[in-house]
Amino acid sequence: MAASISGYTFSSVCYHSANSNSDHEGFLLGEVRQEETLSISDSHIGSSEFLSVIEVHNHEPCAQLFSFYDYAGNVNEENLNRILKDRRKNVIGWYRFRRNTQQQMSFREQVIHKQLTNILGIPDLVFLLFSFISTANSSTHALEYVLFRPNRKYNQKISLSIPNLGNTSQQEYKVSSVPNTSKNYASVIKEHGTDFFDKDGVMKDIRAIFQVYSALQERVQAVCGEVDQSERVREKIQEEVNKLKEEIALRKHNSAEEERRLQEATAVTLPDNSALPDNSALPDSSHSSLTRVVLSGPSVEPSLERAENSSSPPIYSTTLPPDSPSAILLPRPQAVGSPGHPSPSVGLGNGDGSSSDSLNRQATGQEDEDNSDEDSSEYENLVSEQLQPPSLSEAVTLGRPATVWPDGDAHSPPGS
Amino acid sequence: MNSLSPEAALSRISPELRPLLCTVVRNGRVGLDSSGCLRITDLKTGCTSLMPGPCCDRFKLHIPYAGETLKWDIIFNASDPELPPDFIFGEDADFLPEPSELPHLVSWDAGKPECLLQLVKELLQQYHQYQCQRLRDSSRLLFEYDSLLDDPNYGRSMEIYAGRKNTWTGEFSARFLLKLPVDFSNIPIYLLKDTALDPGEDVALLSVSFEDAEATQVFPKLYLSPSIEHALGGSSALHIPAFPGGGCLIDYVPQVCQLLTNKVQYVIQGYHKRREYIAAFLSHFGMGVVEYDAVGFTKLTLLLMWKDFCFLVHVDLPLYFPRDQPTLTFQSIYHFTSSGQLYSQVQKSYPYSPRWDGNEMAKRAKAYFKSFIPQFQEGAFANGKL
Repeated sequence: MAASISGYTFSSVCYHSANSNSDHEGFLLGEVRQEETLSISDSHIGSSEFLSVIEVHNHEPCAQLFSFYDYAGNVNEENLNRILKDRRKNVIGWYRFRRNTQQQMSFREQVIHKQLTNILGIPDLVFLLFSFISTANSSTHALEYVLFRPNRKYNQKISLSIPNLGNTSQQEYKVSSVPNTSKNYASVIKEHGTDFFDKDGVMKDIRAIFQVYSALQERVQAVCGEVDQSERVREKIQEEVNKLKEEIALRKHNSAEEERRLQEATAVTLPDNSALPDNSALPDSSHSSLTRVVLSGPSVEPSLERAENSSSPPIYSTTLPPDSPSAILLPRPQAVGSPGHPSPSVGLGNGDGSSSDSLNRQATGQEDEDNSDEDSSEYENLVSEQLQPPSLSEAVTLGRPATVWPDGDAHSPPGS
Repeated sequence: MNSLSPEAALSRISPELRPLLCTVVRNGRVGLDSSGCLRITDLKTGCTSLMPGPCCDRFKLHIPYAGETLKWDIIFNASDPELPPDFIFGEDADFLPEPSELPHLVSWDAGKPECLLQLVKELLQQYHQYQCQRLRDSSRLLFEYDSLLDDPNYGRSMEIYAGRKNTWTGEFSARFLLKLPVDFSNIPIYLLKDTALDPGEDVALLSVSFEDAEATQVFPKLYLSPSIEHALGGSSALHIPAFPGGGCLIDYVPQVCQLLTNKVQYVIQGYHKRREYIAAFLSHFGMGVVEYDAVGFTKLTLLLMWKDFCFLVHVDLPLYFPRDQPTLTFQSIYHFTSSGQLYSQVQKSYPYSPRWDGNEMAKRAKAYFKSFIPQFQEGAFANGKL
């Protein structure tokens, strides 16, 4: 249980008390809140703690002693109501101030406390005891205050905190939740409030900022659209480029075939081994030039395609979801391979973890190499296709006498 | 600050509260142990420091109870002197008397000087009840208490202090303070008036401390008012038998009581016996008596003559006469010792029996003198100078 009292209430109580020439008592008004703290940690799912917080907002001093009780300590309810009037429901406790006495509840205070608990119907009524200790020569005075919960068996004393009584340069200045009941304050705010608040009670600055935010959002949306368009254009161009590349490759292949046949035809008459290595060399050189072309492609706009850098064309056929700009526009810092990464890999992969993982890995910047790998792998396929026909043709020529070995050495045919 | 005399304490109290405290400090005797009177310490004020003059209105009151001293804080308000005080009962935080059982609180009248004292007495009664309640923690001690309560001799004048229960070991201790119903009224006055301070009521208190709840460690102690103690022969009178292991108070206390009564009886009888003795000697020796103690009958001086030899006989009667034999001191009136004193000889053992009456003792003493004097005379001539 925690208790707090606002600084001005505390000083007001002290003022009333210190100025009285005898013991002083009064009532504490405020509220009791239940606070629930939910804590989540790795070791357990979550635990909630309930904390009762007592807040003292105000106080009602009694003008004299024995004003609501008699010599025997019997509380008179009429007098009590007369002192409290309509603030009775706000009572959370009472206080007493006595000079030069011990910090312990006295006999009469205990008797009164029990009765007040019953009459006011507050099970956890608190009692604040002030004692003012002075040294013999009045050189040093100490004001001590203790908050008691006498209705409990254990932990009867609780510490009373006064917010902002301390070094506020190091701590934050805390605003308390004490409701402001001052009429003067309310009237001033009403009069000057229109400078700061609009008709709905919302601060004007907030609206202005919100407008700026909305404008920024619109712009970003527009840019999204532009990006979308440019990406589509790029997609088309990429397709054309791919087609052209295929044609080139095909033509080259055809021309190579042609040449080889010609050479074979001439080679039957004139064995010449130097053509083949040139042939085998040819696809490599064309290869490397082709790979080089591919490399320059995807590096154009890496920032926007984190999630969509796989070179297979179908990605760009899906539309960007317009209502979730945050996934794209506000890059969230994510760890490598973190499961929370939003990977809008719609239509890509099998939907199992492996493909999206590979996608994620690509997302963090390895795209250039991957692209090149994939592209080069395509072309490797082409290379292997090209290599195969020579072996086929080799097999064909095996049956002839005076075969041409691939390594270019002339051998005498076996058996001759 | 702490050991102020009562008068000094009173002078610092606010004038309106002074009459109340006068009664407490000057005449205040509460409880059984009336030798320790109420003391006031730690006088403080509840007024601001601007208030002039004596204005102390809160203090600590020391109350002897069951061998302990209770320290209760009493809080008045000097600016409202007609209001009743508040109390803080020191370490007994659980003690909460019922206000309806404190008539002097309910109808507090600051105009009556004895009001505070009466209130303190009522509070003490409640405190006693509270302590008896605490005995319920130990069935053994509760049994002791109940058995004593039933006995009319002891039940009404008992103070119980049930000590702190040691929460570690669960040990419980208690002290019973009982007033022993011994009649001291017949003790000769002369024995009682020797004390310097006002003796008050003559009382014998038996304090029995139980150090544990099973009553295996029991320490009894007898307290007598100073005059009684003196009358019974000093601190030797305080020797009482040890508490029998496994015994209980209801058997032990009457035992102690009887012992004390016997002693008192003895002292009283001794007085009478001594009187009888002296009277007998007076009648036997008549003109030979020089002087005698006519109040306590403890001393007697005779001047006797035997064959023209005059000598003095001093008779000292002990407290426990006739159990103890009187001491005879023979003194020569002619001879001096080297230190300038009259030559004398002390005789402690001579034919004597406590069963003789005064007359018999006088006769026998006379016979003894006759037999002893020649010896003495010789001794006086031999050792003393004229």
